[in-house]
Amino acid sequence: MDSRAGDRFPLTRRSVVEATRDADPDVRRQGWESLVASYWRPVYKVLRVRWRLDREDAEDLTQEFFASALVKGTFERYDPGKARFRTYLRTCLDGFAANERKAARRLKRGGGQSFLSLDFAGAEEELRRYGAGEELDVEEYFHREWVRALFGLAVEDLRRWSEATGKAVHFHLFERYDLEGPDAPERPTYAELAAETGLPATQVTNYLAAVRRELRRLVLERLRELTGSEREFRDEARLILGIDPVKSPGGPK
Amino acid sequence: MNKPLFGLILGGILGVFDGLTALLSAPETRTQIASIVVGSTFKGLVAGLLIGFFARKVKSLPLCILFGLAVGALFAYFVTLGTPYFWKIILPGSVVGIIVGYATQKHQETPAVQKTAT
Amino acid sequence: MNGISDAALHHLREVADEPDLSGTPYEIVETLGRGGMGTVYLARDLRLDREVALKVVQLPEGTGDLERLLREARVLARLEHPGIVPVHDAGLLPCGRAFYAMKRVRGQQLDEYARAAPLPERLRAFERICEAVAFAHAHGVIHRDLKPENVMVGPFGEVLVMDWGVAKVAPHLVGAFCCSPSSPGDEGLGRGRSAAKLALMGARGEGSGGGTEAGTILGTPGYMPPEQERGEVDRIDERADVWALGALLGFLLKGKEPPPRPLEAIRRRAMATEPAQRYPQVEELAADLSRYLAGLRVDAHQETVLERAGRFVRRYRTPILLILAYLVMRVLLIFFLDR
Repeated sequence: MDSRAGDRFPLTRRSVVEATRDADPDVRRQGWESLVASYWRPVYKVLRVRWRLDREDAEDLTQEFFASALVKGTFERYDPGKARFRTYLRTCLDGFAANERKAARRLKRGGGQSFLSLDFAGAEEELRRYGAGEELDVEEYFHREWVRALFGLAVEDLRRWSEATGKAVHFHLFERYDLEGPDAPERPTYAELAAETGLPATQVTNYLAAVRRELRRLVLERLRELTGSEREFRDEARLILGIDPVKSPGGPK
Repeated sequence: MNKPLFGLILGGILGVFDGLTALLSAPETRTQIASIVVGSTFKGLVAGLLIGFFARKVKSLPLCILFGLAVGALFAYFVTLGTPYFWKIILPGSVVGIIVGYATQKHQETPAVQKTAT
Repeated sequence: MNGISDAALHHLREVADEPDLSGTPYEIVETLGRGGMGTVYLARDLRLDREVALKVVQLPEGTGDLERLLREARVLARLEHPGIVPVHDAGLLPCGRAFYAMKRVRGQQLDEYARAAPLPERLRAFERICEAVAFAHAHGVIHRDLKPENVMVGPFGEVLVMDWGVAKVAPHLVGAFCCSPSSPGDEGLGRGRSAAKLALMGARGEGSGGGTEAGTILGTPGYMPPEQERGEVDRIDERADVWALGALLGFLLKGKEPPPRPLEAIRRRAMATEPAQRYPQVEELAADLSRYLAGLRVDAHQETVLERAGRFVRRYRTPILLILAYLVMRVLLIFFLDR
């Protein structure tokens, strides 16, 4: 599959965690692909940073982890009543990595069996730029990277939404102010953005408000996909966005 | 407690002491001590009440002390008439007036707090 | 995609949480604070060109009778007291959340204020909190979430009780208010987009008088009485606020020195486990505290003879000192006049 499996608009708003248990093999595979798209980066980073694997081993193990999950039906066995899905996945990853480490002592793995096309170079670049989160425990680190991946996917969704709806200016403003702005030496003001785009300043405010609303909706949609239960979805939304999405018209129905 | 009541009580207490000290300043008056204490207390009560009313009306510490001094001295002067103890009466009486004048002006009138007071 | 930086991620999480204020006259200026129950923004009211504090809360499932919630909002908006933050406006946002606009209060939160203020000042602030809460009780409103973070102390020592978001409104009052016409002072409550506007005060699932379902826990641990902690909604009355005020008093008494015993006794009575053992009304708690401040015996404390004598001396310190000064002067006069 392509690393941009998450690039598609979600086919449904149902949980992909549930989809991995669907009777239909196509739905199952689609669910699995969406999960990979959202979780591979945090998985890779944990293997690199916390398991201290070199780049090649971490790439192999990331591939193998998801491949093994597909074959063994790891995600199908997830019980939403016991833990959050991301906690479950990380625990599985720990077990998998520990077993692989033992196995590696006995037998040097072949490696290089890549059947997923994942942008490991991009993940490496993120590691280099945003650090390994030494101050965080592994759970917090995994969560932080998962949230980063989640927003990354939502921003990509937003980009496609803006292209599809002819709102390129909206996305440009969003990119300049909300994506690049926080890291810029001097964040552009609304007035500067207005001059840059030839819009009235009030329109910049409105456009940004609209695009942020859309982002919120898309984040919630992604989150809905990636959580195993309604309760988990709401808990995660509260944790990540500080809101309870249940009543939001923009949220899942 | 309001200012007139406070002045009345303080003036009365100081009046009692004022009277009793006659035992030390003029031991020869011992036989008349009861009437001296009663008179002195009455003088203190009336002076305290007047000074209390004054303090309520006039919000000035110097004026209140001056008024206290005047009232204390005046009342003491009436007592000195016909006795040989002019300074022994006029001085403590004036000081009582000054103290009550000062205390009543400084005293904060508080609204009554419901129930149990001591 | 090269990933999102930490700063951008933090920013995106914030803006994604921004309420949709389209259709309202408000524009967000900045975030003032976040709590478990909602976010408070500094906003500009473009219509009246003034700053307001805008609290945005999530509507719970099964909000129920919106009309009733609106009526509750009216009741709360009419709590006109210098110690209660006035509510200017309330409504439902297109993003599904509810908001209410309040006067923007400048000052310190009680916890910050308490760090620097001496005990007598803290106690006077507490008296004013009691006055505001007692006023609300007299109008049938129970706050249910009194805590230091919900009290602001202004630059001149004025006290404002905030965040009436989980307040419980007596049913009979809701009924009474619902029949009275909106006053101009309502500033939009229940008018204009009235169909869309709903109360925010009930926004967390509590209804009027019996609006909160049994078992629902609203409030803040450490500042809610046992019956509230157990979700026994029907048992929650004015004495729940009395308990919380006791907890607030305890907070204000914290310091290097142990608190005076009468104050500790007041706190204990206010925080009695059984509501029947507490002060039945906030006025009585406030009166006991006033008695303490006035140097009188407090109801909650059985004092010893020594304590009583000490209190007498403290209370009448000035006259006692003056009498002593008089006696000294008298002795000196006797000494000098007799020489």
